Amino acid sequence: MSTPPVAVRPQPVQSVQVRPDKPRNGPKYAIAIVVLAGITVWSALAVEVDVAALFRNANNASRTLIQLVQPDYSFIPQTMPALMQTVQMAIIGTAISIAVALPLSFLASRATNPNKTLLAVVRFIMNVVRSVPDLLYASIFVTVVGTGALSGIMAIFLFDLGIMVKLISEALDGIDRGGQEAARAAGATWLKANRSAMLPEIAPSYLSQSIYVLELNIRASAVIGLVGAGGLGMLIDKVRTFYQYHYLSTVILEILVLVVLLELLSSFTRKRLLT
Amino acid sequence: MTAPTNGARTGAAIVFDNVNVSYPNGVIGLQDVSLSIAPGEMVAVVGLSGAGKSTLVRTINGLVPITSGEITVGEHRLSTARGKELRRLRSEVGMIFQSFNLAKRTTVLNNVLMGRLYYTSAFRSLLGWWKKDDVELAMQSLERVEIVNKAYTSASELSGGQQQRVAIARTLSQRPRVILADEPTASLDPPTSHVVMRDLQRINSELGITVVVNLHFLDLARRYGQRLIGLRDGRVVFDGPGAKADEKVFESIYGRSLTAEDVLDAPVVVP
Repeated sequence: MSTPPVAVRPQPVQSVQVRPDKPRNGPKYAIAIVVLAGITVWSALAVEVDVAALFRNANNASRTLIQLVQPDYSFIPQTMPALMQTVQMAIIGTAISIAVALPLSFLASRATNPNKTLLAVVRFIMNVVRSVPDLLYASIFVTVVGTGALSGIMAIFLFDLGIMVKLISEALDGIDRGGQEAARAAGATWLKANRSAMLPEIAPSYLSQSIYVLELNIRASAVIGLVGAGGLGMLIDKVRTFYQYHYLSTVILEILVLVVLLELLSSFTRKRLLT
Repeated sequence: MTAPTNGARTGAAIVFDNVNVSYPNGVIGLQDVSLSIAPGEMVAVVGLSGAGKSTLVRTINGLVPITSGEITVGEHRLSTARGKELRRLRSEVGMIFQSFNLAKRTTVLNNVLMGRLYYTSAFRSLLGWWKKDDVELAMQSLERVEIVNKAYTSASELSGGQQQRVAIARTLSQRPRVILADEPTASLDPPTSHVVMRDLQRINSELGITVVVNLHFLDLARRYGQRLIGLRDGRVVFDGPGAKADEKVFESIYGRSLTAEDVLDAPVVVP
């Protein structure tokens, strides 16, 4: 015999388990938002934004803008030496920095360097190297070795080194260390185990990051030239000083084309590497 | 099947003398463990997770340092082995892991050659310039586990069972005197588990290599271990032939009666 079905409210599950209280994060978030908003407002005050100036100089600006949207293509042949120098600086800078960065990355990763002191020292130095902006490196080297491509290459080298070591050592931190453990269990030293079991695992991302810094370098070598470190940047500085905005926009256009081309190449190769 | 040439070594004895292991976080790994494993013996270690099985096998090659006592492997003493001597000991002891521990993005052959790193100079290792004899030995090891056709395949393209056999070949290329296996079947399905266990059994009987294998499943342990060691809370609670390990013994190891979850294969009902 079965009783007719009756609608029953679901009963709470009988259990000795205690449900935890929902954590109250509301106040924490509120404080964080207020602090962030405060910092932003304070920063805006510091730069003393003068919107009116934009309109006062409108006449002047429009003249410049009109010149800028009319690039003078006849100037292109004269830019070629500087363009080549930019590309060469970027390539040499990349080549040297990625070669030096590889061993340093293994010293800067907790996964591959068991020596805590050496690890701390390498990391500290790399943090310092990375905290200096590329433009500042360029200014320093221009003062030390004079204007031209050499100071540019040195600036690019240090700038890339900081980025590469950071990215590759973090890649090393994140990968599966099983192969390394097995190699060490078979009597290999850290050096041999890292070379045989860890290097193959990061090789694709190492190549991919190398192409990425090459891409950064084209941009960077255009900018650092402004302080005299060779390449297109130095050319920009020259034409700008003489208010040759037709020429200026030609150079900017060239950089744009160069960067887009390299980005296409880079994303194509990276896709092939990482799959 | 060919046996590896240039003189396979004989199995080594392993002796635990009052071994204690405690981890830096205060967890006790092993307590007063004394054992003697004869050369060429095949021993299965069973126990619940956390009973100290992994700690036990990992002390044998120094992956886990012992806190007190002494372990002797062949002529090596673990308590004093450091640096070069520890690496020498490790070169004589192969290890097989639960998660295979292959370098996935390189070839099967390169993985097997890692078993030769102890004998390869740092210079050659950096260039990946392996000695011809070592490559030959690696190929023979792959032949022994019947997977040599995959030598130039990337390790990531293999199935779990194939990866574990590559890992076995890697230990064989060491020409080891001892093979340690830390739950070698835990990531494998039942049929593949038996293939891997049979490989280990064959290596033990044909090459005379001492084998110590951690197993979670009791039926596997009884079937493949000539001798069974039961651990509970870091202590040895059973040590004897697998055949003698009855229901009562298992209760003392597991602290409860057996359930279907403690065996790999469901019992076959014979009509």
